Amino acid sequence: MNATLHVVEKLADWRERALEFEREIQKAVLGQARVIRLVTICIFARGHVLIEGDVGVGKTTLLRSASRALGGDFARVEGTVDMMPSDILYHTYLGEDGRPRVEPSELLRLAETLPVFFFNEINRARPQVHSLLLRLMAERSVSAFNRVHHFPYLSVFADRNMVEREETFELPAAARDRFLMEIPMAAPDDEDARRRLVFDPAFHDTETLIERVSPGSFDYRRIPEVAGAIQTEVKSSEALERYVLNLWQALVKPESAGVSLPDVDVSSLFKGGASPRALAALARAARVRAWLEGRDYLVPEDVRDLFIEVMAHRIFVDPIHALRGDDIVKRLCRAAFDATPVP
Amino acid sequence: MRIACLVLALVATLSAAAQELTARIRSARPFGYFVGDLIHARVDVSAPQNAALSRASLPKPGPLIGSLDLRDVKLSESVENGARLWRLDLTYQNFYVALDARDIEIPSFDLAISTAAGAETVKVPAWRVGVSPLREVAPQKQEEATDYMRPDGSAPFVDEATPRRLAIGAGVAALLAFALVARDRAWPPFQRRRARVFSALANEFSTRRAGDDSELDAAIQSVHRALDTTNGATLLAADLPDFLRRRPEFGPLRMDFERFFSASKRRFFGGEQLGDDFHAEQLAQFVSALARRERSG
Repeated sequence: MNATLHVVEKLADWRERALEFEREIQKAVLGQARVIRLVTICIFARGHVLIEGDVGVGKTTLLRSASRALGGDFARVEGTVDMMPSDILYHTYLGEDGRPRVEPSELLRLAETLPVFFFNEINRARPQVHSLLLRLMAERSVSAFNRVHHFPYLSVFADRNMVEREETFELPAAARDRFLMEIPMAAPDDEDARRRLVFDPAFHDTETLIERVSPGSFDYRRIPEVAGAIQTEVKSSEALERYVLNLWQALVKPESAGVSLPDVDVSSLFKGGASPRALAALARAARVRAWLEGRDYLVPEDVRDLFIEVMAHRIFVDPIHALRGDDIVKRLCRAAFDATPVP
Repeated sequence: MRIACLVLALVATLSAAAQELTARIRSARPFGYFVGDLIHARVDVSAPQNAALSRASLPKPGPLIGSLDLRDVKLSESVENGARLWRLDLTYQNFYVALDARDIEIPSFDLAISTAAGAETVKVPAWRVGVSPLREVAPQKQEEATDYMRPDGSAPFVDEATPRRLAIGAGVAALLAFALVARDRAWPPFQRRRARVFSALANEFSTRRAGDDSELDAAIQSVHRALDTTNGATLLAADLPDFLRRRPEFGPLRMDFERFFSASKRRFFGGEQLGDDFHAEQLAQFVSALARRERSG
């Protein structure tokens, strides 16, 4: 009993520091409160993130700020069409004596202290690189120099280039399923924030901007412990669990749950992808959201608020609709929410 | 056109080089025309198969002589027994006021035809038809000048009942079609009144005795379903501001809504149970307040 009380108190304390962590990032990243909240949820759910956003909206600034606020290191790799897995693991160069040298790459050197690894334009890299990344994400370890290197605190953040199609390799379904969320990031809507981003010189220099973030507002070495405590302490009631299962059913068999979309035959729309892993990810993320909102129980709003970000990139629909982007998936999700009663 | 019983005349025979070029005129009758009558004639021109008729050489509709107009010319072309056949349907109108029965002449005209041997001309010869007077030359003497006039033809009998019936029928059909469209579009008076879900629920609650906890759970759920129906989709606590903006008639009940949702959240999802003073009576009061606001909306 005492131990439980102790954990509850610690969770409340950690929550204060997590909110402090968000506030620190907000010093450098303007008008992106929801994106920062989603990134925080992913870090404390120990998930990996696909970031979808235009160039120049502040993805790198956000991730560097997050890594600084966690007090850890930051590594970044640019996906290219000729990249091989060894390019990520090894650093090869000619030494002063003219002989070739092979050293651990930045990623391997920082393995123990790396909470944020940014893979830019992941769909430019070849499937071999994707498979290395899949292992890194699933097991938080890679093999190099004849031994296994562990990344105990790692979260992978990957950006997809959605503008160009030439020389890109779309992430396979299995790879997309490994990402906890796909977070869309756009320029802020708020006019004041836009004006400051354009005219305030403080936002022109990323280095000084990131200096604003006080380092280590939440120690990244505590994340695994906190994440575990959140998942055990935040409770889900029987009514809520039934709600999530009904939602799942409404997605997989929309016609049986009375879900309908104008101009679309929902009975043949869904082709796969809402896996048990996806629903488990949804539950994990929803618990972190409940914790950040100061609750120790889940409510339907937790599920609904994160549903599209957690689920949409893992739902695969009939190819004839898939050609029109992910809008149909989002509409299906919203229709499923509208048709699923709670409690 | 009923022509044809009589071949009037005239087969134009041409030079030796164009033995096969012939023109034949047919007319319904060669006599019995009065002033103003139309005279129909058909001219068949046959030629070798490779011959071509110059359309410019066809007679032009218009006055021919002072008392004869050509009203219409129709040409059709066919091939029969290896010969080309042009059929000219000519309509003349006679304006000759005859005082006795006599023949008038329909003038001749030429048709230009080009054959393998060169350009040829077929002459359609003049022909005659008999025209007759409408009145006596010296009528019997009358006392009154108006007596010379003939009576008007009798006015035709027009049946008014049928068009009226048709008009009434079309009007009724139009009204019926309009009613169907109005019903389809839910125009007044076909717009359906919003179902009064809360009134029905309040009635149900008033006939049911307050029971134990599980019945309160079921009652809260039925209020949720009624709210979902009113909202058109599942209504969560977070949707409340938006819902109250869309349905302002429920605005005064904001506090009751919030109390209901927080009580429902405590019962179904967890959280502190302290201060849980939401009972069946409060729920019944909430539902009857909703029903009142629903009727006012």
